[in-house]
Amino acid sequence: MPTMKLPLPFFVVVAVATAAIAHAPAASAQSRAETMRFITGGAVNTLDPTMLGTTRESFAVSMSTYDRLVSFPRKKQGDNWVFDLENVRGELAERFAVSPDGLKITFHLRKDARFHDGTPVTADDVKWSLDRAVSAKSLAAAQLLTGSMTKPEQFRVVDAHTFEVTLPKPDRLALPNLATIYPVIFNSKLAKANATAEDPWAQNWLKSNVAGSGAYKLEAFKPGEQVILRRDDTWNRGGTDKPAGFKRVIAQTVPEAATRANLLERGDADLAIDLQANDAASLAGKGGKVKVVSTAQYNAVTFVTFNTQMAPFDNPKVRQAIAYALPYDDMFKAALFGRGKPLFNAVWKDGPPSADFPIAQPVRLDLERAKALMAEAGLPNGFETTFSFNLGQASLAEPVAALIKESLAKIGIKVDIQKLPDAQMSTMVTEKKLPFFTENIVAWLPSNDYFYRNFYTGQQRWNFSSVNDPKIVEIAEKARFEMDPAKYAEYGRQLNARAFELMPQIPIWQANQDAVMAASVEGYVYQFTRQVDFRDMRRQ
Amino acid sequence: MAKDLIVSTLRRTGRRFLSSVPALVGVLVFTFLLMRVLPGDPAVFFASGPNSGKEEIEFVRQQMGLDKPIPQQLAIYLGDVAQGHLGRSLTTGQAVTADIRQRLPASLELTFTALLLALSAALPLGILAALKPGSIIDHAVRLACVAGVCMPTFVSGLLLVYVFYYWLGIAPDPTGRLDVFATAPPAVTGFLLIDFLLAGDLEGWWSAARQLVLPAVTMALFVLAPIARITRASMLTALGSDFVRTARSLGLSSWRVVVVYALRNALLPVLTILGIVFSTMLGANVLVEKVFSWPGVASYALDALLASDYAPVQGFVLLMATIFVLVNLVVDVLYGIADPRVSMD
Repeated sequence: MPTMKLPLPFFVVVAVATAAIAHAPAASAQSRAETMRFITGGAVNTLDPTMLGTTRESFAVSMSTYDRLVSFPRKKQGDNWVFDLENVRGELAERFAVSPDGLKITFHLRKDARFHDGTPVTADDVKWSLDRAVSAKSLAAAQLLTGSMTKPEQFRVVDAHTFEVTLPKPDRLALPNLATIYPVIFNSKLAKANATAEDPWAQNWLKSNVAGSGAYKLEAFKPGEQVILRRDDTWNRGGTDKPAGFKRVIAQTVPEAATRANLLERGDADLAIDLQANDAASLAGKGGKVKVVSTAQYNAVTFVTFNTQMAPFDNPKVRQAIAYALPYDDMFKAALFGRGKPLFNAVWKDGPPSADFPIAQPVRLDLERAKALMAEAGLPNGFETTFSFNLGQASLAEPVAALIKESLAKIGIKVDIQKLPDAQMSTMVTEKKLPFFTENIVAWLPSNDYFYRNFYTGQQRWNFSSVNDPKIVEIAEKARFEMDPAKYAEYGRQLNARAFELMPQIPIWQANQDAVMAASVEGYVYQFTRQVDFRDMRRQ
Repeated sequence: MAKDLIVSTLRRTGRRFLSSVPALVGVLVFTFLLMRVLPGDPAVFFASGPNSGKEEIEFVRQQMGLDKPIPQQLAIYLGDVAQGHLGRSLTTGQAVTADIRQRLPASLELTFTALLLALSAALPLGILAALKPGSIIDHAVRLACVAGVCMPTFVSGLLLVYVFYYWLGIAPDPTGRLDVFATAPPAVTGFLLIDFLLAGDLEGWWSAARQLVLPAVTMALFVLAPIARITRASMLTALGSDFVRTARSLGLSSWRVVVVYALRNALLPVLTILGIVFSTMLGANVLVEKVFSWPGVASYALDALLASDYAPVQGFVLLMATIFVLVNLVVDVLYGIADPRVSMD
């Protein structure tokens, strides 16, 4: 055993110190049971979720410290609970009504809702918060734009507990947008008291202070290390009129994935959602003290993407050839250990079978067909290219890249693998300089047109393949404002068919989110943020 | 006489420190330019909300001052540094000075403890090996040193965690400086061991000490080799020298010969190595900090570097350069104490 090589004095020092440790008093068992210790590789960097550069872990905290007007209930997907985009329910709003023409949404606020400092939540607070969302320089404005909310004039206070949103056009994503991370409701009096002339929306102050009415109050915040939340026992906006399950939540940064797995297995931590796929798989197999809830991330997709503006990938035949030359099954096993939902090997009889996005593609490993397509493209002898991925994704992308390289060599394409640090990768993707790469996307509001509008049109970063197809633009815009479900589904099918025809990128799978938790912990729901909503969790 | 010595030492120290200021400025400018040559664009990275486009990127660029020409950015930055501002980190959302003030004590506490551990093991080992060169002990020490230095710190760290935490269950969970359920002492020095003593909280002190053991041992293992090997080599030279032979022939006790005459003379190279080892440990032990979730400056700088977050990286390099200068000064002063023949000029 390697430890035997340690010099003796050290071994003695460690052994003596650690033996004494064993007798140290444990923390009070009672408060431990009422506390959830959530560990994550990421870090919370702000308490105001709208700040530029906000991490996903910060989203999780703001879900609990703030309320929004509305929220997503949960629904069953297989054995697991996932968020339900279709049936938005009230959160700070007791009820809401959409006018028959779809242009006006009226919210009736709960009269018993109070901020953490005891001030009642009024329509003025809602107005200030939504004005802030569309006016201040933050991430919120771009998000609310996808729900046709762009200016303060659209928000009107009717009376202290009634609030109205006016839309220029009926927009199916207006209401769901108000349930996302950004339009949180601030205590406007408290925030204004801490605003300055240069900072009228109190963005600096709210970075490290909470002015909300959420289920949890802030107890301690150490940026990059941990956040401790304490339950607000009067909170009742979770759909059940009851406060959240845990009295206290500790969200702690533990950068090393192996350490996170150890902590869970030893029972010292209660929940983690970012273990490595192989750790999660082995913990799931052990049973006993730890359980694993594995949910396909139905609002996220992993792509293999081509730059459609760069030769030779500007030729659809080349893109299709590669689509038939990827060793999908091997990639799925090597990268994800089979933990996810595959989006390949499908059979389409008569066009795309549904309007779902992403939809499993009728592609499979077929080297003969790939070679034929390469010949049709006028490149029977192949070409050279690079395949890039993000260093942060290396554990998944590295095996994928190696298998792609090996397989494409068989149809004459020589691939160089390029690993890029996160910031460099995002820069190169935004500047459209990468020819061939893998990336993941997430949509908070996973409806068909939202995916196509954000990821298949425009010049921004998220249109990875830089596809510029007038037909996709036209159908997606029509679908956005289409209120008739049947017609909407028809548009969705058309978009799916068009994307397959052009093949600007190949959706390969939806990876599972493995939520690994202590056996006594329950209530986990897969959320649109791909984070834990602490309010869902409780101990048996 | 003694007073004169102190005054002249102080004067020399001051002069020495002033003469290193140009080097510090050089480091600052170099890091500044280097960060801007790197291909990642922080504005793009931080404006990467699900829907952010050109406008958001431009805004971040403006906020970070990156829309101005580089010479102007540099002038602004140097002006800020002169006033004690190191800018704001986008990764943590805090001022870099505040971040460093919070994290430096964590790194220092760990490094000092590890250095102390390493010294208390490496000096005796080196001396033992030198006293009996070629013996079993010598080979055992060599083996230990090779093992320590060739095992990367994250391997030895994970191994220690596996054995003492996961397997034996006698170490506390390897997550940071204090048990998450314990309460931190009022911050005075930032060194938890000292702050707990000041607060009179022995239970808390014990809890912080337990957290410190495994990371400190991991770091100590890694620096054991250079210290022990240098001690052995310079002890061998000292033991073979004329004055030791004279002392032996005069019939002095072997303890006195080894510790007073040989060791004191052998300490100079060890001190030099210690200075280098200390500065390296402080900055380069990012792996130990990551494995043990230790909230130190090295992991802070690495996270910032991966995100192309300029201000923290520049602040970190400046900090390291300053510490390097200070440590070298201290080593020079210690030289004078270890060997009065050495002058600082």
